[in-house]
Amino acid sequence: MTDTMLTDAAERMFADLCDKALLDAAEDGAFPSTLWNTVAESGFHQLAMPDSGVSLGDAFAVVGIAGRHALPLPLAETLLANRWLAGSDGLATIGQVQDGWIVDAPWGRAADRIVGLDAERGACVVVELGEGVQVREGANLAGEPRDAVALPDGAEWLPLLEPAYAYLALARAVASAGCLARVLELTLQYAGEREQFGRAISRFQAIQHSLAVMAGEVAAAGRAADAAVDALDGDRLELEVAVAKARVGEAAGVVAEIAHQVHGAMGFTHEHQLHHFTRRAWAWRDEFGNETHWQRRLGRHLAAGGADGLWAFIATRG
Amino acid sequence: MLQFDRVTLPEETESLRRDVRQFLADNAEHLERPNSDFSTGHDPAFSRKLGSQGWIGMTWPKQYGGSERSFFDRYVVTEELLAAGAPVSAHWIADRQSGNLILGVGTDEQKARYLPPIARGESYFSIGMSEPNSGSDLASVRTRAERVEGGWLINGTKLWSTDAHRNHFMIALVRTEPPSENRHAGFSQIIVDLHEDGVNIRPIRNMAGGEDFNEVVFEDVLVPEDRVVGEPGNGWKQVTSELAYERSGPERFLSGFRVFVELVRAAGPDPEPALAAAIGRIAAHIATLRRMSISVAGMLEGGKSPEVEAALVKGLGNDFEKLLPEIARLAADDSIAAAARFGRFRESLRDTLLLSPSFTIRGGTREILRGVIARGLGLR
Repeated sequence: MTDTMLTDAAERMFADLCDKALLDAAEDGAFPSTLWNTVAESGFHQLAMPDSGVSLGDAFAVVGIAGRHALPLPLAETLLANRWLAGSDGLATIGQVQDGWIVDAPWGRAADRIVGLDAERGACVVVELGEGVQVREGANLAGEPRDAVALPDGAEWLPLLEPAYAYLALARAVASAGCLARVLELTLQYAGEREQFGRAISRFQAIQHSLAVMAGEVAAAGRAADAAVDALDGDRLELEVAVAKARVGEAAGVVAEIAHQVHGAMGFTHEHQLHHFTRRAWAWRDEFGNETHWQRRLGRHLAAGGADGLWAFIATRG
Repeated sequence: MLQFDRVTLPEETESLRRDVRQFLADNAEHLERPNSDFSTGHDPAFSRKLGSQGWIGMTWPKQYGGSERSFFDRYVVTEELLAAGAPVSAHWIADRQSGNLILGVGTDEQKARYLPPIARGESYFSIGMSEPNSGSDLASVRTRAERVEGGWLINGTKLWSTDAHRNHFMIALVRTEPPSENRHAGFSQIIVDLHEDGVNIRPIRNMAGGEDFNEVVFEDVLVPEDRVVGEPGNGWKQVTSELAYERSGPERFLSGFRVFVELVRAAGPDPEPALAAAIGRIAAHIATLRRMSISVAGMLEGGKSPEVEAALVKGLGNDFEKLLPEIARLAADDSIAAAARFGRFRESLRDTLLLSPSFTIRGGTREILRGVIARGLGLR
């Protein structure tokens, strides 16, 4: 059962603070300090700490709401880094170790510390950011900062105690599901307001059918993401993340495509807010394993289990 | 907005699931079919065995032959049967909707008369909705029943009535009053014994080679007074309320499941990457559709009427049932497809592909379902 007091509070806060102007500014590279301060003062960055009193599932629910509002902060990364590192409670981010760098770290330029994952080794390094640490700025296709930080010599490796990569993939799936639900709302609203041929375009059957398809994909994405969150405590988390990341990723393509078609040229402008959501849905499909990556992971597991074990995998209680 | 709650099947369903699997293992001689389609395996002997297990009409009162079990229990039984490719079509419609309709709005006498034989797996029903000129526009049906001395006199033609040539009864949607301004008024549902004089049944061969559905012509068929189900004139409302049961079950996304099983069997334990991805893709869709479908079962169990959610699950599920054989076909490249071990896969694929056009037509076309969803979204 989700803690609705928590999620309602997150919904109110993010809805109040995340507007088009803030998203534009963040995309131009300006770290949204006021937003971050409000989030931190409310303790939202500490929700996943082992002693927070909040379940990890509820922390993921807040990540979903952040996705709904395109929150321009590395919330999932901060939550998980602060969970894993004793004594860490500031703005922390996570990237992946590659050739002497920690790459693809959301807001590496603004973070207090960064965790570099090497999922294959089952280990991570922690770098305190400050003077003398080299940062290369970059961005994903949604314009969200994805920075690289040079790995200092002699960095100390720590064992990963949790399935970090699966958690981060789950975070993207959950955030995408929230984001897609918002895209549907925006599109329903636009179709009801935009008039052509003397009536709202939502009155046209062709548009109605497109919106019905979209609603199906959004519902599937939401249910798949919820199921993976519910699997956090079980022994098949990684496989449920595979289901969710693969299914949500497929939904994202369909939903973004229809949303833009229904919005017409207006949705293609920078002035309209739609692209902040659709570009995120596109970008997040590819972060922490795209559909193919997770489909293969799941497919290999099922093939190894054999045809006669297939149904048993599908037919779970939850 | 549409809501699909997180619903977990109750723990008690696990022992039932084990029982069903054991039953299927003990009755493997009935499981020869290459597909998981609910409408093409007519096997009265199997239906009677299911009935003796108490797995038909399981949610109904014991007084009428049921077992007073939950919708979740029924869900577990039906999905296990479909996944195994069991031949369920004989009793399927009676169990899924005719019996529920009679239980919901029928008289005590009708319940006592019709339900126990259904639950025993001995009495089978067909749907009598579509007509030659009434498909998606169901309110245009023209079959009429006139009140005459001793009952109702029925004239007209029903179409696509699955298994009418081997089932016992049809619940026909008929006009009992002439058309009026309210085009949904004046309908009734009447139980017709398919062996009555004046009932002419002609099987129609489908493109997959099967003869499962029929044209049923009524020529002055006299049925007794007491065969009307529910209120005369209330037929439209009754028909539409059947739909939440009809539309959200596992039969709306599992029709192609045997193709998937045979694909995995043929792929072996260590498939190449593209084949592994195809397997994972199919599994991700089915796992998600099943959870959405169980969410709807949870709403039914809670006494709600989730018509729009059911339409959404059916629409999404049917589209996927059609996509599954395509994904599987393309994943099996020439070298693998040529291997002998793919024989069973090819048979299952061919069978399911040939049946697949029906998936998005029966029980409400894709287009009708999208209209229902659009209404649920507040667009019409």
